[in-house]
Amino acid sequence: MSKVKNWHLKREVEYPYDGSRPSRQWAIIFDLNKCIACQTCTLACKTTWTSGKGQEYMFWNNVETKPWGGFPLGWDMRVLEKLGRQEWNQQGEYLGKTLIEAAPAHERVLHFAPTDEDWMYPNVGEDDCAGAKMEGGGHMATMPHDKWFFYLPRTCAHCTYPACLAACPRKAIYKRPEDGIVLIDQTRCKGYGECVRACPYKKSMYNPHTRTSEKCVGCYPAVEEGVQPQCVVNCIGKIRVMGFVSPPEKARDDNPVDFLIHKLGLALPYYPQLGLEPNIYYIPPIHADREYLRQMFGPKVDAAIERYKKLPDDAVAQGLLCLIGSTDRIMHRFEVNKGMAVGFDDKGAELVRVPVVEPVIERAAYDDKLGAIRNNTP
Amino acid sequence: MNTPTWALSAAFTFSLAAFGCSKSAPPVAKPTPLTTLEIKKVSADLSKPDPAASYWKDAPEGLVTLLAQPMIAPRPETTTTDSVIVQAVHDGTRAAFRLRWKDTEKSEAGRLGEFSDGLALEFPLRDGPPPPVMMGAKDMPVHLFHWRAQYQRDKEQGKPSIKDLYPNQSIDMYPHEYKEAPVGSPSAAEKFSPGVAEGNPQSYAKTGVDEIVAEGFSTSSVQEGHGSLAQGAWANGEWTLVIVRPLVIDGGSTLKPGGTSNIAFAVWQGGKGEVGSRKCLTMQWTPVKVQ
Ligand code: SF4
Ligand code: SF4
Ligand code: SF4
Repeated sequence: MSKVKNWHLKREVEYPYDGSRPSRQWAIIFDLNKCIACQTCTLACKTTWTSGKGQEYMFWNNVETKPWGGFPLGWDMRVLEKLGRQEWNQQGEYLGKTLIEAAPAHERVLHFAPTDEDWMYPNVGEDDCAGAKMEGGGHMATMPHDKWFFYLPRTCAHCTYPACLAACPRKAIYKRPEDGIVLIDQTRCKGYGECVRACPYKKSMYNPHTRTSEKCVGCYPAVEEGVQPQCVVNCIGKIRVMGFVSPPEKARDDNPVDFLIHKLGLALPYYPQLGLEPNIYYIPPIHADREYLRQMFGPKVDAAIERYKKLPDDAVAQGLLCLIGSTDRIMHRFEVNKGMAVGFDDKGAELVRVPVVEPVIERAAYDDKLGAIRNNTP
Repeated sequence: MNTPTWALSAAFTFSLAAFGCSKSAPPVAKPTPLTTLEIKKVSADLSKPDPAASYWKDAPEGLVTLLAQPMIAPRPETTTTDSVIVQAVHDGTRAAFRLRWKDTEKSEAGRLGEFSDGLALEFPLRDGPPPPVMMGAKDMPVHLFHWRAQYQRDKEQGKPSIKDLYPNQSIDMYPHEYKEAPVGSPSAAEKFSPGVAEGNPQSYAKTGVDEIVAEGFSTSSVQEGHGSLAQGAWANGEWTLVIVRPLVIDGGSTLKPGGTSNIAFAVWQGGKGEVGSRKCLTMQWTPVKVQ
C-alpha cells in the first residue's frame, strides 16, 4: 500500500498504487439549488453513448431524488452502512477510515455488490419528500425546510484515487495522465465486475452483451476538442460547468472551477469520506436537512451554504454563475468587470461574454402596432 | 500478503468432519491424494470430450487439495472448493483430463451480478524449472486452459441474446438497428458495442475453453486456441468435466509421450461470486508423467 495525499480529507490515505496526479483533472460542478430533474442530461448521455445492446439499463449520468432515490437501489446508504460511523475533526480533517483502509484483508475495497434487481429501478423515489409528518400548514416557512428533497445529478467522478482502478485484478482500468479521465480498456476487460463491486458511487456497469464492464468516458472525444461533455452542454437548468480542477496549492482564482471550489468553498465533493477524491463537485442545496448534507458533503457544508446566501453581494461569483451554461466550450479562465463576465479558452481566446445582470426592459402590456397582447412566454 | 496457515488446517478439519458425518451416504472409496498424475495411453478417439466414456473406468484417479487463493485480494474469504478428483489419458495426439468437484448449484452467468462456474488447468509453458505456480512470472510463462460453464453454454446454445437473458425486457428500438435512420448500420451498432468493436474475445461466442498465457498476476491474455475442447455435466451437486488438449502445442506447453511436466488446478464457484482472482486453487505443481 502507498500513502497518497487526499486534499478532500486533509490527510494521506492508503492506495494500492503510488500517487501521480494528472497534468489536468477533469471535473464537473453542479449547482443543486437549480437542478429540476428534467433528465435531459441523462438522455443526452444515453443517446450519445449507451443506446446499444447490453446498455439498456445503463445511465452513466443519472439524476436521483435525495434522500429516497438511488441508482442502483440504495447505493449510498448501503456503502455508508458498511463503513459505519466515522468522524471528522473541527479543522475539517477526516479521522475515520476510507473504503480502502477499511477493507478486510481478502478485499481491496470495502463494498457492497449490487444485484441484478438493484439496477432495475433507475428513478425510484422520484420527488418523494423527507422530513417530519405532513400535517396542515406551511412546510417551507423555515430554512432549511422541515419537509425537503433535492435532485442529485451524477456522473462518474473520474476520481483521483479510483476504487474501480484499485480493484481491477487485470489492470484493465487506467487514468489518463493528460486529463484524469478514468477509462476501462475494452480490450483487456474480462468482465470480472470487480469495478462494479468496488466503485462506491456505482458508476461502473456490466454490459451483459459484450460481457465487459463499461463506464462514463467523461466525453473524452469532446474534451480533447475543448468542448464540455454532453450531459453538461445539454443541461436545461444551466446548473453545470465542466473544467479542470487543481489541487489547492495550485489553484488559480481565475479558473472557473478552482474559483468555486477553492476560492469560495462553494462547491464540495460528495461523500469525500469514502476516500477516492471524487471530481464531481456540488453547490449544496440550501433548503435541505443539514445533518443529511453534512453526511453527504462533509463538515464544510455549513460554510458553503452561508457563502451561497451571500452571493448577491459578490459580483465576481455572480458573473461566473452567469457564464455557466453560456458556452459549449471548456472555460480555462474568466474575468468579471464593468458588469460583464467573460470566459476564455486555454489559448486565451474569448469564448463568451454575458452581462452579470440582464437589463430589465419594461414594455406596455398591449402592442398597438401589432394589435396584440404581449406576454412573457419566450 | 500473509499465507494463512489456518486456512489449511480449517479446510482439512472440514473435510474430515464432512467425511466422518455422512452416515447415510453409501461408502465410497475416497481417491487417494494425487502425487503424480500419470497420463495413460488409451486406444480410443479423444477428439470429442466425453465425461461418460468407458476408458475413464480404468483410468487411475487421485485427489488434489485446493485452498482459497491466498496471495492477492480480492480472494475468497474461505475455501469453497476443497478438492478435485483428477484422471487423465492420451491417444498419442491429444490428452484428456477428467475433473470432478462438488458445487451445490450450477451457475452459467449472463445477467448482471452473476458469475460462472469454471475450472482451469495450468501447465508451465516451457521446459526447465517450473514457474511460480500462481500465474507464472516474467519470462516464466504458464499456459492455461480455462473452461467456464458460460463458455459451454455459448457452444451449445449460441451466445445468449439480451432477450434470452431477460425474456421480459422491452425496448422501443436500438437506434443503430433502425434501418431507415442514417446511423442504422451493423458497423455503427458494433462501434457502440465497445468490447465487440475492440475484438475482445470476451464479447464473442466461446467454444467452451479459452487458452490463456500469463507471466504473473494481472498479465493473463487469451490466445488463439489450438483446438482444445471441453465438455462438462452438472448433476447432483457435482461437476464432471473433460478438457481435451493437443499433447504438443507449437509455442505452447507440451506433453511428450514418455516425458514429464507439471500441472496445477483452479476452480471457481460462480454462485458464490467467484470470478477472476476469487478462486480456489492447488498451492503447488503436481508432477505429470506421460506414458
Ligand atoms: S439537465 Fe440539468 S437541470 Fe436537468 S436534470 Fe440534468 S442536471 Fe438537472
Ligand atoms: S466514480 Fe467510480 S467508476 Fe468513476 S472513477 Fe471513481 S471509482 Fe471509478
Ligand atoms: S461525461 Fe459524457 S459519458 Fe460521462 S455521463 Fe456525461 S455525457 Fe455521459
